[in-house]
Parts: sequence; structure tokens; C-alpha cells
Amino acid sequence: MKMRSLLKGAGLVAASAALIVALTLVGIWSFIFYNTDSGRDWSAPVGEISQALTWDGSGYVFTGEDLLDGDRWAMLLDESGQVVWSLRRPADVPETYTIMDVASFTRWYLSDYPVQCRVRDDGLLVVGSPKGSVWKHDMAMDMDTLLQVPIWFAALFLLALGCVLGLAYRVLRRWFRQEQQVRDAARSGGINGVSHDIRTPLAVVLGTAAQLEADPTLPPERRKQAAVICRQSQAIRDLVNDLNLTMRLDCAMQVLRKETLQPAAFLRQTAADFLNSGMAEGYPMEMDLPEAPLPDIEADTFLLRRAVDNLLTNCVRHNDPGCPIRMGARAEGAFLVLWVESGGAASAPDPEEQARRQLGPDGGAAHGTGLKLVSQIAAAHGGEARFYGGEAFRCELWLPAVGGS
Amino acid sequence: MAYRILIVDDEPALQSMVGEILAGDGYEPETAGTCAQALERFRAAPADAVLLDVMLPDGDGFSLFGQLREVRDVPVLFLSARDEDAARLHGLGLGADDYITKPFLPQELLLRLRAVLRRVYRQEPDTARLGETEISWGKGTVRRDGEEMALTAKEFALLKKLWEARGNIVTIDALCETLWDGPLVGYENTLMVHIRRLREKIEADPSHPKHLLTVRGLGYRLVREVTP
Repeated sequence: MKMRSLLKGAGLVAASAALIVALTLVGIWSFIFYNTDSGRDWSAPVGEISQALTWDGSGYVFTGEDLLDGDRWAMLLDESGQVVWSLRRPADVPETYTIMDVASFTRWYLSDYPVQCRVRDDGLLVVGSPKGSVWKHDMAMDMDTLLQVPIWFAALFLLALGCVLGLAYRVLRRWFRQEQQVRDAARSGGINGVSHDIRTPLAVVLGTAAQLEADPTLPPERRKQAAVICRQSQAIRDLVNDLNLTMRLDCAMQVLRKETLQPAAFLRQTAADFLNSGMAEGYPMEMDLPEAPLPDIEADTFLLRRAVDNLLTNCVRHNDPGCPIRMGARAEGAFLVLWVESGGAASAPDPEEQARRQLGPDGGAAHGTGLKLVSQIAAAHGGEARFYGGEAFRCELWLPAVGGS
Repeated sequence: MAYRILIVDDEPALQSMVGEILAGDGYEPETAGTCAQALERFRAAPADAVLLDVMLPDGDGFSLFGQLREVRDVPVLFLSARDEDAARLHGLGLGADDYITKPFLPQELLLRLRAVLRRVYRQEPDTARLGETEISWGKGTVRRDGEEMALTAKEFALLKKLWEARGNIVTIDALCETLWDGPLVGYENTLMVHIRRLREKIEADPSHPKHLLTVRGLGYRLVREVTP
């Protein structure tokens, strides 16, 4: 969703940039075209003027006076450079021209008058405009360079487009990030608020149910019912806790307080605390640690404990008492693998069998938020959680080992 | 003498529930629903410990904590629905003795309160009984079948650590930390030697221990009362 919006935004900016560039280019092109030789606003219609000037056997007859504006003038030079006909020729325009004069004014100006010329059978027709009214520029270019012009134009256009797109991407990304942060904060705040509001009533429910469960004056049936309320309240409490943490990890709002951990000591302590809490009563627990020392890991103890606790709780919730819970660790290349397994028989990790039994990254939808959180915690540590189904449910947390490459 | 515990929470149902839990364990609970009420009661007769909610109608528990401590330095346990790290660290950083997040099990509350009171008011008896064995913490000895045996410094530290865990499992790592102030590596066998020697002093049949039990793969636990 976020990526799609980002692409949509970037596309919009790119289209706008392309449109602006295209409009600018067309505008510049039109302006130049309209105001140069091909345009009609400044130049005199030399061809028509020439047609309107004819020789009747005795002299020149000009019938196109309306083609010449009042402040323009014209003259016809013969092959020797002598003026043989003229109309409104200014006084400072000479009557005779050498070949050098002709070469000069056809390219530049004639006595500062901008002129246009047309070669006729009987000479050269010169049409002049007022001084300072037209800017003339002679342009010549190497042919190879001229042929490269489109490539240069295209390259510059692409460069400009790239700059615009890059800038737009940065701006949009920052904008989206800010938007996302605001949305995340609102979402997290909402869930935090709900979880806060639910905690006090849940504390009353849980506390009262636990009191009833422990009340020796109540009949066993009633105490059993209170125990059910107690267990379910604990499940809701765990869910609220998981939901809160999931949200914080999802929105990258959870600060990781990493420290160096010895995996064996960590696992033993987590298992001991779980057993001490009474949660695993009736579930034999087996610890499988190798003889050789395991590599240390950099981890947030609170989060990692939460992940392993969730796995152990999951084992207890989904298995009947008597079902063994196995846990352990092993070094695997640059990773340290912490694993928890329940149900079935103890299985040595066989790659083919493992691959066949591997579940999705959330450990199967049936297990809900708890295992999703395990995945998130592993990911937050730069590792991953792998879940395996089948007769035994197994989860492996692959975490980068200290000194692993 | 029963400890007087002041419960400061604006939720009457929670006040009465916690009150019942505490009364059931032999404490004398008092309640207050606001900061003003809590201060008034505490000034009139300071309680031995305070269970303090963070969000109160007329202020926050963190500020009230400072005001209470100005009156008298008693143990304070925050009892809050705010579970964020920031709130927990803030509370503990102010000097609170514990921070319990709602919802909690009554047993958890009692254990934590007991631990705080024990730590603050120090009324650990000088002797303890472990089945047929009597431990004298003051003298650092154990007496069984009329014979008094001195504990070595390591055995004493080991027994104390296991005793304080109140029947819970203590990992071999935690025991090594206690004995050698360092990690387990290299000490496993030495630890086992100390455990064996301790068993010889406290167990009637050290080969079949009834009190100092091994929890395979994890550590040890000390069972105070053995059910026949």
C-alpha cells in the first residue's frame, strides 16, 4: 500500500515534470520559429516584392507599394553593383557597391540598416528596414556537431528529468515517512489507549478469579470454574501485551536495548523462570545444549525472553499435560539457533524433513499474535524465526552470532 | 505486627480486590482514590508500604511518589496499567522499589510485596529449618542428628542463594555468578563438588537428596518442606 502510493506519487511528479519540460521546449521552439526567417512579423515579403518589380522595356515598374511598410525601403543593384531602381532609399545608403560591400551587407547590415536580399536574373533586390529594428546573427556549425544536437538535447532532457525525479522521490519519501509516522503514532496511541483501559478491569477479573480459585470454602466445581476465568483472563492479558509490542515493533517504536548474551545461560534462566511461574506444571522440560561453548549473541534480553516465553506458552496451550517440551541451541555458521519444540518425538534436525514441515513466517494463522511477535522479535535482531509443523511443533530462532560473518 | 499497606488507585473495584488479597495474607490495607486523599492519610499515619497507581484523577503517581517520600521514606510499588518501557523505567528511576503492570496475579503481587518488605525491614530469622536439619545463618553452621557442622564460605553462599529462591529453580549460571561473580565456563565441575559437599551436610541420604534437588539441564532447587 505504502509502496503503491509512493510509486503513484513519483509517477505524478514525473508526468508533471515531463509536461513542464515538453511545454517549455514547444514554447521556445514556437517563439524562435515565429520570430526568425520563417515568421512573418518582422521580415518583408521579399519574394512578392520582387515579383511586383518588373521591366517594361523602358524602365522598372513597381506595383507592390502596399507590400512595403512606410518606413521600409528597396533598391535593385545590377551586376556591376550600381543601383538601377530604388524606392524610399535613405540618403546615407550609397549608389554603388563593390563585391566586398555586397558580401558584407548580405550577411550583416548595410550602413546599419538590416536588409534582406533576393537574387534576380537582372541583379540583386535589397529590401531594407529601419535602423535598430531587426537583430541579425550569422550562424555556422560543424556538421557533425549539428547531427549531435538531438542527442545532446535528449541527454540534457533526461538528465534534467532524472534530477527532477530524484528530488521528487526524496521529497515524497520524506513526506510519506512523516505521514506514516503520524499514522503509526495514532494507531499505536489508539491500541495503547485501549490496552491501558482494558488492563484495570482485567486486573479486577483476574485477581478476583484467582482469589475464588484459591478459596477453600468454595465447592471444587466453582473453584474449577474460577480457574477457567483465571486462565482465560491470563490469555487476554498475554494477547494485550503481545498486541502492544507487535504494534510497537511494527511501527519501529520499540527501542532495542541490546547486550551480549550467553545463549546457554539465557535459555536456562528463561526455562527456569517459566517452570518457577508454574505455567509448565505437568509438562516435562528437556534442555538440549551442546558440549562445545556456543557463540554469544547481541540481543535485547527482555524481547528475546518474550519470544521464548511465547513459544513455551504456545507449547503449553496447544498440548496436553505430559507432553514434553524440548528446547536448546546450536551454532549454525554465522548464526546461533535457539529452538523450542513440543509434541512428537525428539527429532534431530534433518534438512529435507525440516523443509517439508516448514510453516509460514507467522507459524500458521491458527496460532495468532504470539508467534507473529516471535517472528517480529527475530527480525528486529537481524534474524528470522522458522516454524515447523507435523507431529511435533518446532520453532527455530536464527540470530546473528557475535563475531559471525 | 501486621504491615499497613496504602493502596492508591482510583478504581474502587481494584481497591477492594487488592485490599482483600492483602488482608487475606495478613496485611492491614488502607485505600485512597486520589493524590489528595493519599497524602492526607499518609501524613496522618504513614503506612509501611504504598501500592501506587500512576494515573490518578487529580495528578500522577510519579509526582505523588516524591511527595510521599518527603513525608517518610517507605517502600513504594507502582501498580500501573502503563506497560511502556519509558513509564517503567521512569518509575524505577525515581527510586520505586518495584513496578507491577496490571493485570497481575494476586500471588505475584504478594510475592513482590513480601520481597520488598523483607528487603527493607530485614526481619529474616537467624535460623531456618530444612526437614531434620537446622540452619544457623548467624553462625554459618548446620545441625543434624545433634551434630553441628560448619559451612564453608562457598557452601554458605550456595545454601543462602537457594534458600532465598523459596523453592524456585536457580540456574547453574546464577549459582556460579553468586559463588565466583562470573560466568559458568570452567566452574561446572567445581559447582557440582560444592553441591555434593553441601548435600552431605544437609541431607540424611546425600545420594538420594530430598531437599537439594537437581533440575536436569537447568540447575537446582531447595525444597523446604518435603511432603511425605
